[in-house]
Amino acid sequence: MELSDWELVQRCQEGDAAAFQGLVARYYRKVFMVVLGILNHREDAMEVAQEAFFRAYRNIKGFKGGSAFYTWLYRIAVNLSIDFQRRQKRTPTEFRETMDELIDKREGAEFAKDPYVDFQGKELEQRLFAAINELTPDHKAVIVMRAIEGLSYKDIGRILGCSEGTVMSRLHYARKKLQEKLGPYL
Amino acid sequence: MKTDCKTVKNSLGAWLDGELSASETERIRMHVEGCPSCSGEKEQWERLQVSLRGVLEGEASGVAFEPFWDGVSRRIFAERPWYARLWDWAGLAFVPQRLAWAIPLVIVALLAMFSLDQFFAGWHWGSNRGNGSAVDSIDGHGFNVAVFRESKTKTTVIWLFENQEDEDESSGEPASAESSF
Amino acid sequence: MNLLVSPRRLNLLFSLWLVFWGGSLEAAEKAQQGVQLNIGTILASNESDGFDSKLSKMKNQLEVIKYRSYHLVKEENQKVPWNGNAVFEIPGGRTLMVMPQEYRNNRVSLKVRLQEGEKPLLDTTVRIRNRGNFLLGGPAHEGGVLILSISATTQ
Repeated sequence: MELSDWELVQRCQEGDAAAFQGLVARYYRKVFMVVLGILNHREDAMEVAQEAFFRAYRNIKGFKGGSAFYTWLYRIAVNLSIDFQRRQKRTPTEFRETMDELIDKREGAEFAKDPYVDFQGKELEQRLFAAINELTPDHKAVIVMRAIEGLSYKDIGRILGCSEGTVMSRLHYARKKLQEKLGPYL
Repeated sequence: MKTDCKTVKNSLGAWLDGELSASETERIRMHVEGCPSCSGEKEQWERLQVSLRGVLEGEASGVAFEPFWDGVSRRIFAERPWYARLWDWAGLAFVPQRLAWAIPLVIVALLAMFSLDQFFAGWHWGSNRGNGSAVDSIDGHGFNVAVFRESKTKTTVIWLFENQEDEDESSGEPASAESSF
Repeated sequence: MNLLVSPRRLNLLFSLWLVFWGGSLEAAEKAQQGVQLNIGTILASNESDGFDSKLSKMKNQLEVIKYRSYHLVKEENQKVPWNGNAVFEIPGGRTLMVMPQEYRNNRVSLKVRLQEGEKPLLDTTVRIRNRGNFLLGGPAHEGGVLILSISATTQ
């Protein structure tokens, strides 16, 4: 029988680190996706996501179960990502393949059923990341969490420490910006 | 119509996210179905959502758990003082629960193996178990004394028998030796 | 408090307890109490055939002493402290004195004296395995000989 998040958390609080391993196994990909969406850099995202879990482990005794574990975890991850990006002020390039690289890769590779559609999809991905990268961290966080996890506005508000209305307006703004940048490709 | 489209487009995201009330949801749905402009924008927003999710999920699917967990556990161990790390280690912190209980079981098995008689104290006089006794000193006070060991149970037997100087016959076999007492 | 409740901590504590308990068995036995001595007096003779069923567990031990019959005359237990003297009355006016001296390597060292009235017949020091025994035989009795099974169990 699979234990609930809260049961695993309680075991962690009793010193059972294997229970924490269970929580990591359950959420590491989602946390990684959120962090990657904000940082747009694979290695940094890996580091920050691991750090987020470490911080969660260190502070887990302070988690009282007032909210869902994952909202608490995402809050740690998002805050770390935003802090990280502010400190780094990095222009992420490593994650994105250049269009030339993409084209090089595709030569000799088996094309999808419709090469044009596949290629167009890849191009959309590149532009998508470029467009997201121009958003502020807060806007990135909102749009990534909504896209990946399908979290409710209420949950996202809890994670980011803002109201549902703020979440809605940030989402709207972020989507409009992306739409402006990506219009022809959507 | 134009004002209506603007309102709808402002609420399009919340509508797609299922965050509107039932009446608002229905109103937007009715409009989008009949409005090519809003319908096109809705499709764009959906595609945006799907693309973003697809890209990130594609990246995340390439992240294996083991290296990820290694990074997390390394931080946990590095952070903790040596005694806490020892505690974690001794508590088999990163071993599945069921395996952890194998440790005391192995200890029990080893203890049982090396000291069966401590665990199964069923002995009473006359037990057939090996004795492995040793005679450190012996003084027959003038009587003959034979010490030998029964081979099957390795039981030490001390046998007193007649002083040979007083008897015509002697024997090393206890059963044939006549007692002098 | 949580440390005590955690299954893993319980596991650890249990393991440690097992190790310390196992390692200190011998010391604890000697330190706590004395020794339980058990003396079985067996009459072996050639006058008749028979083997006392109470001695069935000793059959292998007694086989080497080739008599035709074996009969358990008496069995006596005494608890005695370390370096204390236990005295057992043996048929024929004899006395067996046993003094447990030390316990080492799972063996009990016993100082044993057999005497007839005031006359010593035998003095010996034997180390036997805890809960083990040794046999002392030879004294004549009722047409046969007496065999004493002397065993010791630390308490």
